[in-house]
Amino acid sequence: MPEIPTDAIEGLAPQRARLAAFLKRLIANRSVALGGGLVLFVIALALLAPWVTPYNPLESSFRERLLPPSAAHLFGTDHFGRDVLTRVIYGGRLSLEIGFLVVLATGVFGTLIGGCAGYFRSLDNPAMRLMDAWMSFPAILLAIAVSATLGSSVTNVVIALSLATIPHTARIVRASVLVVREMEYVEAARALGARDTRILFVHVLLNSTAPLIVRLTYVFAIAILAEAVLSFIGVGPPPPAPSFGNIIANGRDFMVEAPWVTIFPGVAIFVVVLGLNLLGDGLRDVLDPRMRI
Amino acid sequence: MKTRILQIALAGGLMASGLMAAGLPAAVQAQDGGDVVIAQLQAPPSLDPHVTSAQAARNVNLHMYETLYARDENAAPVPDLAQGVEISEDGLTYVFTLREGVNFHDGSQMHADDVVASLNRYREIGASSTLLSAISSVEETGEYEVTVTLSEVQSTFLDNLSSPRAPIAIIPAEQAALGANEIEFIGTGPFRFVEFQPDSFVRLERFDDYTLNTNYSERDGLAGYKEVFIDSVTFRFITESGSRVAGLETGEIHLLETVDGPSAQRLAEDDQYVVYDVLPFAFQVIKFNHAQSPTDDVEFRRAVAAALDMEEIMAISHPDIYEIDGGWLFTNSAFYSDAALDLYNIADLEVARQHLENSSYDGETLTFIVDNGRANVDTATIVQQRLAAIGVNVELSVADWPTVSQIGFTPDGWHFWTHGFGIEPFEGPASVIAPWVDGVSMQADDPEINRLYNELTTEMDADARAEIFAEFQAYMYENAVAIKAGNYGLFQVSTTALENFVPFRIPRMWGVRLNQ
Amino acid sequence: MWSFVLRRLISSIPVLILVSLMTFGLIWLVPGDPASVFLDASATPEQVANLRRELGLDQPLWTQMLSWYERVLSGDLGESILLNRSVAAAILERLPITLSLAAIALVLAVIFGILLGSLAAVNHGGWGDQSIMTVALLGLSIPDFWLGLVLIVVFAVQLGWLPSGGFVAITEDFGGWAMSMALPAFTLTITQIGFIARMTRSSMLDVLRQDYVRTADAKGLGHGFVVMRHALPNAMMPILTVTGVIAGGLLGGAVVVEQVFALPGVGRLIIGAILSRDFPVIQGGLLMLAVIYLLVNLIVDMLYAVIDPRVRLA
Repeated sequence: MPEIPTDAIEGLAPQRARLAAFLKRLIANRSVALGGGLVLFVIALALLAPWVTPYNPLESSFRERLLPPSAAHLFGTDHFGRDVLTRVIYGGRLSLEIGFLVVLATGVFGTLIGGCAGYFRSLDNPAMRLMDAWMSFPAILLAIAVSATLGSSVTNVVIALSLATIPHTARIVRASVLVVREMEYVEAARALGARDTRILFVHVLLNSTAPLIVRLTYVFAIAILAEAVLSFIGVGPPPPAPSFGNIIANGRDFMVEAPWVTIFPGVAIFVVVLGLNLLGDGLRDVLDPRMRI
Repeated sequence: MKTRILQIALAGGLMASGLMAAGLPAAVQAQDGGDVVIAQLQAPPSLDPHVTSAQAARNVNLHMYETLYARDENAAPVPDLAQGVEISEDGLTYVFTLREGVNFHDGSQMHADDVVASLNRYREIGASSTLLSAISSVEETGEYEVTVTLSEVQSTFLDNLSSPRAPIAIIPAEQAALGANEIEFIGTGPFRFVEFQPDSFVRLERFDDYTLNTNYSERDGLAGYKEVFIDSVTFRFITESGSRVAGLETGEIHLLETVDGPSAQRLAEDDQYVVYDVLPFAFQVIKFNHAQSPTDDVEFRRAVAAALDMEEIMAISHPDIYEIDGGWLFTNSAFYSDAALDLYNIADLEVARQHLENSSYDGETLTFIVDNGRANVDTATIVQQRLAAIGVNVELSVADWPTVSQIGFTPDGWHFWTHGFGIEPFEGPASVIAPWVDGVSMQADDPEINRLYNELTTEMDADARAEIFAEFQAYMYENAVAIKAGNYGLFQVSTTALENFVPFRIPRMWGVRLNQ
Repeated sequence: MWSFVLRRLISSIPVLILVSLMTFGLIWLVPGDPASVFLDASATPEQVANLRRELGLDQPLWTQMLSWYERVLSGDLGESILLNRSVAAAILERLPITLSLAAIALVLAVIFGILLGSLAAVNHGGWGDQSIMTVALLGLSIPDFWLGLVLIVVFAVQLGWLPSGGFVAITEDFGGWAMSMALPAFTLTITQIGFIARMTRSSMLDVLRQDYVRTADAKGLGHGFVVMRHALPNAMMPILTVTGVIAGGLLGGAVVVEQVFALPGVGRLIIGAILSRDFPVIQGGLLMLAVIYLLVNLIVDMLYAVIDPRVRLA
């Protein structure tokens, strides 16, 4: 329910109480709690990696190649003799970092493009045509093409994945901007003389963030899955740094003899993505139950 | 426990084929016929034999096409489509007599004009056209006679002519008039072309009118008596190692071109399969870029060479199928030398650090380019780790082969590059030295190597050639021009239904039978 | 209706032009070319240069681009550099495989997704609802290529029930075809079922709350009948939307599955072309996929009109 315009422009004090109530509602939601918990757990593991892991993820030990899971190596070793558990945890670091950067890039550029398209009518049509063309490539092929073109590096993988997720994000932002643009308080703010750009960024975006946040949560999950696919094809982050995807890619050649190298990172991906999907679902339920996708 | 693994040393000892005396039907056991399926790693980029030197193409093309001279089981050049040759006293004129009545797949017969046209096409567009650079003219001097005139003496001319890398295949003159990749696939070989689905398979069938070379009675390398007992062979291209192995285990595939160590161990324990150690097959080489600092500095290169533990590199990159040997030829080569091998596999970080101090290395980050083949990436990764231990910062740049090979042949953008050298050691000393001539592989001309190459190719005496090669090897080590990590091989696995298969540079399908 | 179709087709053209421009942009950035695929590491730069000349790769990009557009407008997508056949032929040979894989997965996902989603909606809040939704969520969280690999190990290698890869044409042997498609289709279906089930459930829930449903219930028509006859058709619209989105996603998913199972489809063709720099195939292939995607969207929009006459075809 829109407040009187002055509140929207000055001061957040009455908002703080609403914020607190909102947060309580958020945590009470089971999906958010479970999903958020999983994600936080994974993030914690990733951040604490150097202290939590028993071995060095990069050091090879060729006499201990492809050992099955045991007390010394809970997830076994890979074909370099490196401990898989250690690599999976460090891999989580890199995969989460990539996911986070993709979310950042998608958020920024998706919002810029979608926001401008939604607010400035003259930009809408050409921007949406561009988005249509962009979305006509199956996202994963686009990512593979870009990554293969630019060469494997973390930056290029982030670029490739962001390019795949930006258009849909832009559409979502545009859709909510379109809706909000017409709402009363924007009219009122305009009536009070606030300039176009100020209106755009302060009001419209703040109030369109709900679908964006949900979308970005899903983007995180997509990025993690997609990085794994890129690594599988061979155009993911380069060795020796582990990522979920490239541990699986390296283990693929030994799938029958040493399935643990492929299974555990796959399970790790599954856990992270599940957590993110749960979180996204929960956020959507709390923030905007009318949303479909 | 390798109960079922047969040790095959390439280019060393003739493998008795047993079953095939000239013209006599085989005695008992497997009946004729059957369709063999081979799984190989890559697809051939082309079935035009002249324009590609990819191993994947050779595997297929050497079944469809033949050459004037070919390498035998010991890698020596012997006549195949030629009946023989007369070399003039001054070594500049080669008169080849051709075998008569040799059939092409299209029904025509081979004459001198086909040979002349094929050789000239190769000189124009051949992938390794430098092999024939000493030729000044090729002429038809009779229906079955071709005269080749050289502009200078070349002790390795017959070696060059019989090089299997991008074979100088004899095709019909009408085909030879066409440009690269425009030919129809017509050759004289024991198999003929049927179908090619470039990202899936290529299928060949037995050429019923194949003209067997009665100068031989047995299979002999890429020459010899090539009798075919099966109906067809299909090469399927499967990049994923796990899928290849799975294909063998479900019975869809009869022979795997290459399989990794752990899979080979597992399959060896199963009675249904035979595992062949094809060792040595190639070198793992780490190249330096001599046009960039600090890899242009001998001390730096020696530091790198001293730091590496070759056992570690080979054991991880080529598990269970490697040899720790520093010679720039295979151990069974007549020209093998142990010159300067005390500088091989030093694996001493202290020695490395000393060299490093004397070098111009200043802490900068160096670039190691590598294609995404697993063994090469693994080698690069291990080198990176080892060098990190002595304070050298290396960044890996993994890209696909087209990108990497483009960068690797320019002086910018790389310091290290690793890949395999397969066909060169097989072909002999001249082929091993050739990549370093004119600075092609290291991006800076080395007059010493150029000199050694010229000496070798004009020296007719075999012992003298051996000495020249020893000089070359010593030079390679003292200057650490490039690093040889070791020899590696292939595991090839077949079902026991495939009989009389003997591995070679390509998986030869003549002389084999399929038990159905 | 047909004027609508025509208008849509015409407005797709700028999109296609953009797509082809973007592909060219990609190729312009790309280092390396197919010449190096032909040659091994000992090739000298002159040999590479010679081959590039032979293959026509040494012309400036401008020229190449213009001649490509010229050819495309006359219906010719060009010749593949590495595949020894025309791009169009290469794509058309492989299209049936990708399309049939995607179609099978789509049909299965839609059938089971709608079934599960409806069951969950009808059982709203109950044990059935919760477990179905959990399964759906699990399904869409699994990395599809990993699932494919695991299935290969279990069903092909360990149990030997199904082939590990490769493709048998339906014309050759129906049984073989079915077996070679079974695991890939299953892998592709699993992730999509989750989306459709969730979508169905939420739109069904909406519809079930509507007045006319309660009226129908009150009329004593039997809940199952009500669901089938009234609720489901009205829930179809959002499902249709999602199907359109999923169709696009399926093409992408098919690409990955094709790699894992070594099926010779369009996805594998394009990936192979990207990795070996077969430019005509990359351009032709991506253009073809864009065309398919646009066609699917068009069909979905047309189906909207068919299902709901209230929709104005604008």
